[in-house]
Amino acid sequence: MAIDKKYQIAPGEAVGVIAAQSIGEPGTQMVLKAFHQAGIASVVRNSGLPRLIEIVDARRRPKTPMMTIRLQKQYRMSYENANKAKRQIEEVFVKDLLSGFSEELKTGKMHLFLNKSKLESYELTAKSVSNKIASNDSLEVELEGSTVHVRIKSKKERDIKSVRTIFVHIRNSLVAGIPGADKVQILQDQSDNSFYLVSSGNNILGILDVDMVDKSALTCNDPFAVYNAFGVEAARNAILNELIKTFSDEDIEVESRHLGLLADAMTLTGGIKSVGRHGIAGEKGSVLARAAYEETVKHLINASVFGKKDMLTGVAENIMIGKQVTVGTGRVKLAIKKEDLEKIKPKA
Amino acid sequence: MHAEMIDYIRFTTISPESIKKMSVAKLIVPDTYNDDGYPIDGGLIDQRLGVIDPGLKCKTCGGRAKSCPGHFGHIELVRPTIHPEFAKTLYMLLQVTCESCHRLLINEKQLTELNSDIEEALLDNPDVSLGETQSDSSVKDSMLKRLKNVKKCPYCGTEQRKIKLERPTFFSIGNEKLRPDAIRDWMEKISDDDLILIGIDPKATKPEWFVITTLLVPPVNVRPSITLETGDRSEDDLTHKLVDIIRTNQRLEQDIDAGAPQIIIDDLWELLQYQITTYFNNETPGVPVSRHRSTRPLKTLAQRLKGKEGRVRYNLSGKRVNFSARTVISPDGYLSIDQVGVPPKIAENLTVPFYVTQWNIEAAKKLLESESYPMVINMIMKDGMRKRATEATRKELLEQLVPGCILERQLVDGDIALFNRQPTLHRVSIMAHEIKVLPGRTMRINVSITFPYNADFDGDEMNLHVPQTLEAQAEARYLMKPSLLLPSARTGTPIGVQQEDQLAGLYLLTNDDAYFTKSQTASMLANVGVYEFPKKQEKDGRYHGRAIFSMILPKGLDFAQKSKLGDVVIKDGELVSGVVDNTMVGIGRADLTLLIYDKYGPEEVRKFILNASKLSLAVAYISGISISLSDYYNSDKLNKERENIINEITAKVATLTTAYREKKLQPLPGMTAKQTYEAEVFAELNIARSIAESVIKKNVPISNNAMLMSTIKARGNILNYVQTSMLVGEQSVRGERAKRGYSGRVLPYLHVNQKDPLALGFVASSFLGGLNPVEYIIHAMGSRDSAMSKSLITAVSGYLQRRLINALQDFYVENDLSVRDASGKIVQTIYGGDGMDPMMESIAKE
Repeated sequence: MAIDKKYQIAPGEAVGVIAAQSIGEPGTQMVLKAFHQAGIASVVRNSGLPRLIEIVDARRRPKTPMMTIRLQKQYRMSYENANKAKRQIEEVFVKDLLSGFSEELKTGKMHLFLNKSKLESYELTAKSVSNKIASNDSLEVELEGSTVHVRIKSKKERDIKSVRTIFVHIRNSLVAGIPGADKVQILQDQSDNSFYLVSSGNNILGILDVDMVDKSALTCNDPFAVYNAFGVEAARNAILNELIKTFSDEDIEVESRHLGLLADAMTLTGGIKSVGRHGIAGEKGSVLARAAYEETVKHLINASVFGKKDMLTGVAENIMIGKQVTVGTGRVKLAIKKEDLEKIKPKA
Repeated sequence: MHAEMIDYIRFTTISPESIKKMSVAKLIVPDTYNDDGYPIDGGLIDQRLGVIDPGLKCKTCGGRAKSCPGHFGHIELVRPTIHPEFAKTLYMLLQVTCESCHRLLINEKQLTELNSDIEEALLDNPDVSLGETQSDSSVKDSMLKRLKNVKKCPYCGTEQRKIKLERPTFFSIGNEKLRPDAIRDWMEKISDDDLILIGIDPKATKPEWFVITTLLVPPVNVRPSITLETGDRSEDDLTHKLVDIIRTNQRLEQDIDAGAPQIIIDDLWELLQYQITTYFNNETPGVPVSRHRSTRPLKTLAQRLKGKEGRVRYNLSGKRVNFSARTVISPDGYLSIDQVGVPPKIAENLTVPFYVTQWNIEAAKKLLESESYPMVINMIMKDGMRKRATEATRKELLEQLVPGCILERQLVDGDIALFNRQPTLHRVSIMAHEIKVLPGRTMRINVSITFPYNADFDGDEMNLHVPQTLEAQAEARYLMKPSLLLPSARTGTPIGVQQEDQLAGLYLLTNDDAYFTKSQTASMLANVGVYEFPKKQEKDGRYHGRAIFSMILPKGLDFAQKSKLGDVVIKDGELVSGVVDNTMVGIGRADLTLLIYDKYGPEEVRKFILNASKLSLAVAYISGISISLSDYYNSDKLNKERENIINEITAKVATLTTAYREKKLQPLPGMTAKQTYEAEVFAELNIARSIAESVIKKNVPISNNAMLMSTIKARGNILNYVQTSMLVGEQSVRGERAKRGYSGRVLPYLHVNQKDPLALGFVASSFLGGLNPVEYIIHAMGSRDSAMSKSLITAVSGYLQRRLINALQDFYVENDLSVRDASGKIVQTIYGGDGMDPMMESIAKE
């Protein structure tokens, strides 16, 4: 793609600093705490400066992990199908289906009373629920009408506390849905009136198993989840998309190439690295650059133990020793031919 | 001038032998001055270490205070002591080597494995040479981790006892104490080959040096004492600490010589260890802080380097400069965006070098002869001597004037200088302006260029820097002027914009009813230096503002844009229809300015911005905008609308509340009924204000000046109008309605669990009508919350900025348009995927 020289970036340009400034400068204009937007229906999600910091820090556990799930072409136009997909995805626990239960802690028995209307609303049958519970080998399960009787098989004596734990565990076990997707909402796209789902959680591989889902259009706001599912390139795009979304939500204009450079810098080594002490800035080659950033003494001591060399190729090092920096006009050297030099020498 | 440059810096540790070699004095006296106020020989201010008093001579080099750089001394410790900062490294070395044969606890198999792993790592990263960055590699780290758990030496078969480090500096092996002298012996016995495997270069560093036997004492220049007014001397913290070290060392020596019991010696040894530890780092965890007599913690070596006020960030990364000025700024609509108005007092004091050559020596002579304003302040001789040019010396200097001299002359119009406002958040916070010396005591800039600096004139101060070398001046002049940096690198939209009164003026000039008499037209155009009338004259002899505005447009310009104030059409440099508004020349979107920049270049756009600024201000002299309180009075109809809105919202809240209380409210997914109620009520109350806004928009005409100003984005927005005349609206504290205070209510005035709009934080009054006491307090709660979050956000975003810049600062564009980091690693193969300059992005999109 050839580009008009007039619009081309100048070689040497310190694009890193420009990108960093372009991202950091509007920071003061961002809100610290997100308003619940007037439209109540939308899911509460982390936004503004805290979200920006979260992305840039490459947090492994984002505050509000979320997935946007589009459906296959043939399903996406009807609400019923969207609802069907929702039922396949949204987590349903045993406890969600009960009208009540009773426990016999001494004998290790529990009786679960399933609620018919709740079962219907999730399109589940009592049979499927009992089968699900029975998949645990250590349990004896018996279905009687809409009541499930559960008994712990083991013969050896159990104390009440551990029986209790097992029962609680049973009631909290998943009957249907994808683990992690605990809040699923059906939303409608304004542009083409298609329905899509927004789910909390970051279980990408789980969602991909659902047939109705358009696998090419699944997005997740957690770069690490994307990295684990699809690799760095996808993670890089996930970071970029999240950065773009964070800024556009705040109505702040930042050219995406700056955000792209940041995303590239974060994924340069094949994994996701954070900006800061433990990431990009902390792993720089230069001792002085690291010392100038944070943990000055630690870096100097470590360098002296291992006899490190600082080759003075970065910006921070050269500022310290008083040389021209290695970016921008500092990269350009002027040369003149000896004979030309003679020509401009003053005649004595 | 260009001395040979530093190629690289290598960090090593220093050996006791080197210390002794570079030391000029062995220090033995734990004191500074004697009773006569004279430095004690062998004390810490020994004159061989250099001098700081102006009267004295250095006993080593003979130099005086200014010329002597200072010399190191040393202290012989009678017992070796652990260097606290190296304790961790020592711990590692003790763990991975055998306690009896002192070899690395690595068996043959592991050794070959390690070597092949290293080879592989080197293949991945061939530019690192062995022994230099090896220790970085995870290969090495994981190997060392494994070696720490080896139970039996593979060479001599000795069982390895557990080694413990009791922070900061006390080691034990098994149940025995491991004293520093034993550690030192152990370290000495580790072979060079093993050290290389660990990653330590034995030519640079020997691990036995991590145990101190000879302590290097910095010159007095590093720790100068201060003489107080009373004549008392106050010593530097380092000197205090060194006195403690010598004193403890002496006592230890005496006790050893006197054959004191081991316990006493150990106690003193431990004290010496404490003194040394705090000498290096007075914030070592697990060690009591060493304090000054005044209980102030001592600032020792690590504290000198560390942090924002430490040596590295304060003096090495940040530098102080000369040739700079700072004063209050004020606006000047007649300066171009590339200029800065400088007060005479500053122009007289700042200087620019004038390099004398054989070609300009006549001009130089004239300059040097001058005895009033543009005159020479200093003359730098060929030998580098700087001499002040005064009435008395001027004649003498004139005789010495030869090519090669440098004259430092006062600042004059047309010189270039860098102008800066803090916080310097992006590169356009520092730009080059041409000097224009103007009366007054403030520096002046056009309002049009305040945007990138984020400056206003309510007392802001800015800095001016005068570049001294020709190279720096050229870079400033040809790369850093606002007109050359016009499109912002962040958004691609112009940074030179019309604002406030300028936008008002342009509206008054180009709206449909803007007709001006011949004399008005003449005076306005003369203001911008146009001395002919517009071609298009109305029948009654008047001129329309659009014709006047067309006079400052470049010839041949074509432009069309839809706008809410009428579609704008410019044809061949004539504004045919439409109002010049902020979307054409204002912040965020200045399409016309951008078009001129693209088509005609920086010089034309500079002129256009200046002329638009001048013209708009000239209009304001003829027909300005003013507002009065009456602009905000509601008509009866509006008052009725307001009541309706409030009644409606009250009813809505009431239904929601009843639904909630009767448990009929359908909870939203993932929310409890209470949260749902809160969210819906809060959203409903917030909507009330936007309803009021739409009512205002519908009913208040643009002929209302307050409305006009917000419409043309000159000042204020519609929200201000709504809050002034209709209702202030819902107050939020931490993103929800004000809730805290008493149980079930915000204020004691309210009933418990009262749920009408007022109790939920809704201010139904307008600013004009006045707030009632409850509203007033709730409003204050909202204001306080936003004031606090604003101060927090500046701190948080400031740190984010620092981190981002640190992470990305080394990236640059290579000649092949790829982006590289400091080591030449490719970050992007083509910058941004297309190699486009972000400044040009908006333009190129067109």
